[in-house]
Amino acid sequence: MMGYLPTLLSLLAVAIAVGLALNMQWGLGGLVNFGLAGFYAVGAYTAALLSLAGVPPLAAAFAAMVVTAILSGLVSFVSLRLAEDHLAIVTLGFAELVHLAMLNEIWLTRGSLGLPGIPRPLSTFVAPAYSDLAFAALALALVALVYVLLECLAISPFGRALRAVRDDDVVAATLGKNVLWIRMQAFGVSGAALGLAGALHAFYYNYIDPGQFGPIITATAFMAVIMGGRGSNLGVIIGAATVLLLIEGSRFLKDAFLFLDATQIASVRLMLIGLGLILLLIFRPQGLLSERRANSKHLTGGP
Amino acid sequence: MLSQTLVNGIATGLVTALPALALTLVFGVMRFANFAIGATLTFGAYAAYYFNVGLGLPLFVSAVISAAITAALCVLVNRLVYQNLPGASGITLLVASMGVAFLLENFVRFIYGNSVRGYQIQAVRPWRLLDLRISQEQIVNIAVALGCLALIWLLLYRTSMGRAMRAVADNPSLAAARGIRPARVISGTFALSGALTGLAGVLIGVDGAVEPLSGYNYIIPVFAAAILGGIGDPVGAVVGALVLGVVEEMSSLVLPSTYRSGIAFVVMAVVLMVRPWGLFGTEPIKK
Repeated sequence: MMGYLPTLLSLLAVAIAVGLALNMQWGLGGLVNFGLAGFYAVGAYTAALLSLAGVPPLAAAFAAMVVTAILSGLVSFVSLRLAEDHLAIVTLGFAELVHLAMLNEIWLTRGSLGLPGIPRPLSTFVAPAYSDLAFAALALALVALVYVLLECLAISPFGRALRAVRDDDVVAATLGKNVLWIRMQAFGVSGAALGLAGALHAFYYNYIDPGQFGPIITATAFMAVIMGGRGSNLGVIIGAATVLLLIEGSRFLKDAFLFLDATQIASVRLMLIGLGLILLLIFRPQGLLSERRANSKHLTGGP
Repeated sequence: MLSQTLVNGIATGLVTALPALALTLVFGVMRFANFAIGATLTFGAYAAYYFNVGLGLPLFVSAVISAAITAALCVLVNRLVYQNLPGASGITLLVASMGVAFLLENFVRFIYGNSVRGYQIQAVRPWRLLDLRISQEQIVNIAVALGCLALIWLLLYRTSMGRAMRAVADNPSLAAARGIRPARVISGTFALSGALTGLAGVLIGVDGAVEPLSGYNYIIPVFAAAILGGIGDPVGAVVGALVLGVVEEMSSLVLPSTYRSGIAFVVMAVVLMVRPWGLFGTEPIKK
């Protein structure tokens, strides 16, 4: 069990980073990104390719954040200009394009063979026996930093403007807010968090291939955000941890149901995610923790 | 060569038109983009597979049964999921439909696994017309899709149900004030969208293969077609699908075929940048 702990913590760090990114886009901004997995993959491949080329892993991770942030901002620009409803499908299309590029640009990505031997940050400073634990600690520290930064943004004037745009973009625009620019910034910033998550994924597994970046990443992130409570970063952390435990726990299904093969176990897991999404939306749409409302006592009359 | 590309493009476009129409009709009455359309398509393809290969019925009969089952499924999903989210925004319904998509697609995968399957049909040599090669499957697909489109047109523009659907899509509160029961219209629309999508799944299975990702691979072309035609506009969706089908086929003359499925995304992105209200619509007045 203790050997499993670093694995669980590393996966948790990645899941939280993805959840926080989605919470900024969807929870605070009301913008649906169905292509999370694609942005995440861009982060993973950027970090992997750079660190394989000899760039120090932490610098590679930073570069992955910058690249993903820029791409994320650009993709949001395409669809947000006039029709924000279509953002979901455009981001999914982007993810498909990323998938095609991963598979077919063999000179760069080695296609479905994948990229092996990705070095981890800190690996030269830590004894191999503690490598997993050191990496988990580093990943959690980086994600904690992301949490603090995103939480500061959420309660800053920018966060208020983003929520205002979510609740009524026309009113926000009338009050002089640049709706498109605020949304693009939100997408860019959360894109950086997705890039970091992808980089951590690549470092953790040491090996990446296109098959690792399927829609399950997107679905679990949505479930984490709904479960935690849209708009609440703290809730998303709880949600991501719960979803991760459920998914990791469902691996033990195969011991309980010996008559199911691996594909069936995987599809049961995905069915449960789909069902969980629907049931949460119907029965607990506000999630575990609700969004913190920054209402002034003077405005509400106070308790 | 060019006319061959055109024929292939029209055949693909007509098949894509059915789910694109389903998407746009549901968007009209419910104001949300139904992401589950891909998984519904897969479900339809496998339902027909069950009757055709599992029970040995002729494919034509299996397709009709599959369309009916898929229609019933869509009505049921609407009752159980979307109608239990009253007052939810289009975005929330979209996320719920992603949950539905996961559920349906993996239900199929649970039963049939990941392997690629095909219907029991006799392979027939393609017809030659001058220098055109048209396969029997293409002829069937074109004929069935055209027949469906004609039926839908009659339904939408010549029956009271169609008039009610268009009225609800246009202005739900005004339609309600005129005594149209929205619940009935919504159920009818879901049934229609299910039948169209299920049938499209069978056609795609006839021309290609039946696999769990059949529908997922069509999501982006279907959305691109509906957006191209102006989402909510039934005629636009059909024209959009035809244009997209031809553009996709043309692209393989100049682009590596591995990137063919990226074309729909590029077309969609360009349309959204230049004319987000679709090729034929008029710019909406933003209040």
